Amino acid sequence: MMLDAHLCIQVGALDLDVELQAGDDEVVAVLGPNGAGKTTILRILAGLLRVDAGYVRLDEVVLDDAGTGTYVVPERRPIGVVFQEYLLFPYLSARDNVAFGLRTRGVPRREARQQADLWLDRVGLAAFASAKPRSLSGGQAQRVALARALATSPRLLLLDEPLAALDAGTRAEIRRDLRHHLAEFAGIRVMVTHDPIDAATLADRLIVIEDGRVSQVGTVSEVSAHPRSGYVAELVGLNLYRGTATRGAISLPNATILETGDTQLNGDVFAAVNPRAVALYRDEPHGSPRNRWRGTVTDLDVLADRVRVRLDGAAPVVAEITAAAAHDLDVQPGAELWSVVKATDVHVYPA
Amino acid sequence: MTGQLHTRRPGRRAPLFVVIVASVGIAFFALPLVGLLQRTPWSDLWSDLSSEQAREALRLSLVCSIWATGLAVVLGVPLAWLLARVDFVGRPLVRALVLLPLVVPPVVGGVALLFAFGRSGLVGEQLYDLFGIQLTFNTSGAILAETFVAMPFLVITVEAGLRSIDTRYEDAAATLGAGRWTTFRRVTLPFLAPSLVAGAALAWARALGEFGATITFAGNIQGRTQTMPLAVYLELESNPESAIALSLVLIAVSILVLVMLRDRWFPSPAA
Repeated sequence: MMLDAHLCIQVGALDLDVELQAGDDEVVAVLGPNGAGKTTILRILAGLLRVDAGYVRLDEVVLDDAGTGTYVVPERRPIGVVFQEYLLFPYLSARDNVAFGLRTRGVPRREARQQADLWLDRVGLAAFASAKPRSLSGGQAQRVALARALATSPRLLLLDEPLAALDAGTRAEIRRDLRHHLAEFAGIRVMVTHDPIDAATLADRLIVIEDGRVSQVGTVSEVSAHPRSGYVAELVGLNLYRGTATRGAISLPNATILETGDTQLNGDVFAAVNPRAVALYRDEPHGSPRNRWRGTVTDLDVLADRVRVRLDGAAPVVAEITAAAAHDLDVQPGAELWSVVKATDVHVYPA
Repeated sequence: MTGQLHTRRPGRRAPLFVVIVASVGIAFFALPLVGLLQRTPWSDLWSDLSSEQAREALRLSLVCSIWATGLAVVLGVPLAWLLARVDFVGRPLVRALVLLPLVVPPVVGGVALLFAFGRSGLVGEQLYDLFGIQLTFNTSGAILAETFVAMPFLVITVEAGLRSIDTRYEDAAATLGAGRWTTFRRVTLPFLAPSLVAGAALAWARALGEFGATITFAGNIQGRTQTMPLAVYLELESNPESAIALSLVLIAVSILVLVMLRDRWFPSPAA
């Protein structure tokens, strides 16, 4: 009992080829940068787009199959969608928005409205049943959208950037509520988001999409511990390199050698370095650390009492140092500095 | 607020020359209205309007313009839908065809209608031979002529309205189980309502004032095809008071339509 899909489609500049599975017992987040194809995936699952090649199967029922030409229109799919910006019908009250899906399925108006009221009560908006969407706050609109999607008891719940339209102040609270409602829903749950925090807090499993391809799949902790792309590494704040390891020496594509404490692993590997493990020097240091290289500061980010420094060089690197150290070193874009990393701080895993 | 950007610099005045020429322009619009009003026999207005000919013309105008508006909606909305949503070969041609009655002189439109729907016209001959239907010199002919000149207003307004609808709402309706017809009824139409009302009001106003095509195609028969504009023209010689009274009614209706549509066509600068 699950969602099983292989989605291939060409839309404009996007060339999507993605395999996706989701079961009943998990919340799956499709995470990726803008333009990676996330919304396209959602639209295909909802039936608003058809695959060029591949298939969509829900509980062994074929919803879309390019091979056989099978295609189930959106209105006949057992789905509920929470759209980006929610798309509540502005001319209907919150109650009638929630009742919409029941009405189209032939539920009499009175009964549909009663059920809608129950759903609004469940998301804590019983008092707003008669309100028009324009008078609702972002968080309230999101809950109405969720109630509207759930009211028809779908098998598959799809959420497109469910928190992106909210301001930072209310976001944490709404996120907690959404997590609660997602946990209560018994069907398959797939959300797409570009926000790693939303993904990490709401989802059990991540499918990372970049340029229309899956770049990594796994639980939140798996993905963040062992990033397999620069995008993921950046999200979790790690420096990531890929190269060929030979007894503790990793040769990067530009011939730079990175030394690691792990001498067992050979072949194609990823090497991750925590920015806090990178030390910066004005002049070339001579000491025990095995890795040192020159680089030019390209970018500075000040985070409270710490500063993240981005450097170009033999191995591009982000170093996180204290504000005091940054001040002493007089770190500025264009400055030439030495980066130093101990071999034991270079973590390797197979690519 | 962007209000401050629009605030005029204090003491900045228009050049005198511009003010004078503009005043001439204003007078040009205002004088005919004033002329009409100063000749209006206010005390006899009601009796002028209740003469048989005037009453017939009023009734007929109302009947014909409402029918024409109804026909324009029934035929025009699907047409606007096609123009707005379906990418078909020859769409520019169809749009040009729809807009033609806007620019063609109504008299010419009436002549063209005559050759299409007249007793010996392209379709009119068959209509008469097969069903005994004669449109010319008949109320139905007046309705046809009014529909011909009024429908373009509805089509262009509704097409623009359809284009401005965010189709993602229709997608949302589909995911909620709504088929095409339900989506049109429960999502597209409510979003379209303001455009539809505006388009219908414009079409109605145009139909009400229609003269050239009507008199050419349907003729000028009291009680059958003589609508208000035709009566005004005819009465001007024999009974000018009645013509003025009817003119006032037409002006009042026009102003009413302008007021109704003011938010749509004349948004106040503060908005």
